[in-house]
Amino acid sequence: MTLYVSDRLGIIGPNGAGKSTLLKLLAGLLRPASGEILLCGKPLPHFALSEKARILALLAQDTEQATASTVFELVELGLLPHKQLWQRTDQDDKLRISQVLTQVGLADKATASVSSLSGGELQRAQFARVLLQGARLLLLDEPTNHLDVQYQHQLLQNIVSTDLSLIASFHDLNLAASYCNQLLLLQHGKVVAAGSPEQVLQPKLISEVFGRRCLVDLNPFDGKPRVTFAPGACND
Amino acid sequence: MTKLLRPFRWVLLLFLLLFSCLWCLNTGAVALDWQLLWPCLFDQCHASAQHQILLELRLPRLLLGLVAGAGLALSGALLQNLSRNMLADPYLFGIISGAGLGATLATLLLPQYAIALPLAAFAGALLAMVLVLGFAALGGWQRLDTVILAGVAVSFLLSAVTSLLLYQSEAFAANRVMFWLMGSLARADYQALAVITPCLLLCFALGCLYRRQLDALQWSDQTAYSLGVAVLPVRLLFLLLTAALTACIVAYCGGIGFVGLMIPHLVRLLFGGQTLVLLCGSMLCGSMFLIWVDAGARTLLPEQELPLGVITAGIGSLFFLLLLSRKGQRQL
Repeated sequence: MTLYVSDRLGIIGPNGAGKSTLLKLLAGLLRPASGEILLCGKPLPHFALSEKARILALLAQDTEQATASTVFELVELGLLPHKQLWQRTDQDDKLRISQVLTQVGLADKATASVSSLSGGELQRAQFARVLLQGARLLLLDEPTNHLDVQYQHQLLQNIVSTDLSLIASFHDLNLAASYCNQLLLLQHGKVVAAGSPEQVLQPKLISEVFGRRCLVDLNPFDGKPRVTFAPGACND
Repeated sequence: MTKLLRPFRWVLLLFLLLFSCLWCLNTGAVALDWQLLWPCLFDQCHASAQHQILLELRLPRLLLGLVAGAGLALSGALLQNLSRNMLADPYLFGIISGAGLGATLATLLLPQYAIALPLAAFAGALLAMVLVLGFAALGGWQRLDTVILAGVAVSFLLSAVTSLLLYQSEAFAANRVMFWLMGSLARADYQALAVITPCLLLCFALGCLYRRQLDALQWSDQTAYSLGVAVLPVRLLFLLLTAALTACIVAYCGGIGFVGLMIPHLVRLLFGGQTLVLLCGSMLCGSMFLIWVDAGARTLLPEQELPLGVITAGIGSLFFLLLLSRKGQRQL
């Protein structure tokens, strides 16, 4: 399958379907047993690490925090693929850091310690780091985990408002439908369906894959498909 | 640190280090004349005893204290950042146990050669490092925990062999090894400085060059990789460098614990956790700490020198208990 500039692909599927593995393959953290991944038409292993980092960024769920760092220092890491070992952070770089911090609404938190940030603020600071990195393709693994409803939408809206291409795994099918223009449904490591949210989110298909009866209607706010699962212990 | 002092913190630290150097040069069993200190340092001294004490005893000891303290603290800071484990310290690789085994063998087999002890200690430290890194390589380097656990296992193994050898040996040899293991700067000479200093400068220079990579590794391997860091080669490079630096220090100074563990913690509290700041701060504070500890070791008891490891472990454990109680109070 091919992803074009500004496409936003949501990877959905039950636990163990292979969503995180696919993201790791795309990031180059794992090597495919067969097949090939091309980035801008070039095989992924042919890229130098820093060259790849200027095109593709992975926003990982960092459970361990470098708590002694400030927000500015975290965002400054985005300069890494653009700098030689001996190059310093100059005034232009500092200006760019201030700009991306303003863009994500954290301009007043530049000197704050990352340990003092809320989950949502930390996600935004990480996103500012990715913006500074200048990557055109963003890989996100369960980006809305640990975020409340407000921050889930805020983070995804931040990404959608840029022209970044996105590949993200989701547990929440409705968030994936609202913010992605393509979906990839996986089960047991295989692609079950791929296409627009309307094509993929078919009640019969979703019921089979997730083992639970469901209804699909339209979200009254954005007109995208909305999945509602039946409560209860089994698929009856 | 108060906001008022923040802009001057490096100047203050350098001033304190300079003052500490002068104070420690003048501290010892024989009191030296302050006014003659400067001329004596530059070979314009007419008092030959003072000249001899200063240039042959106190100056090499002070310089060894500076580089050993800086080296242990630098290694600790690098390892804590590399492993994202705040309990990592330079003895992570079982280096002290390896050096102990080397020192024991040298004391038992070649007691007539003074040079055999540091050489054998260095060889033992390298053996421990090779064993730990070998086990970690067998595990595929996937988890850094493997390195730490391999370090603990190798440490116990080599300590067991050392204990067995000491148990079988005469009391004098056991005493000599035990005193050496507790750490001292008494073996200070310019040869030790010539070995440790280049290793320290290489570690520091590479740490400064790779500061951004080390900052990225503080988050997660995935984040670092996504930022273009060659995670495994960078980690292996610094593991080898810190192990070699620690092995050199241990070979000449014995086991001086807690400096590599405690000083980076203190610097992180005072100056922040960014790698460049952490490395510079750790080196300066580590140097200062060790020369004060050495001054204390020489003067606390009359006509007797205390082992450095005893004092550093005492101060270090109190420091950690204080830190824990402060953290506990904050959480309450």
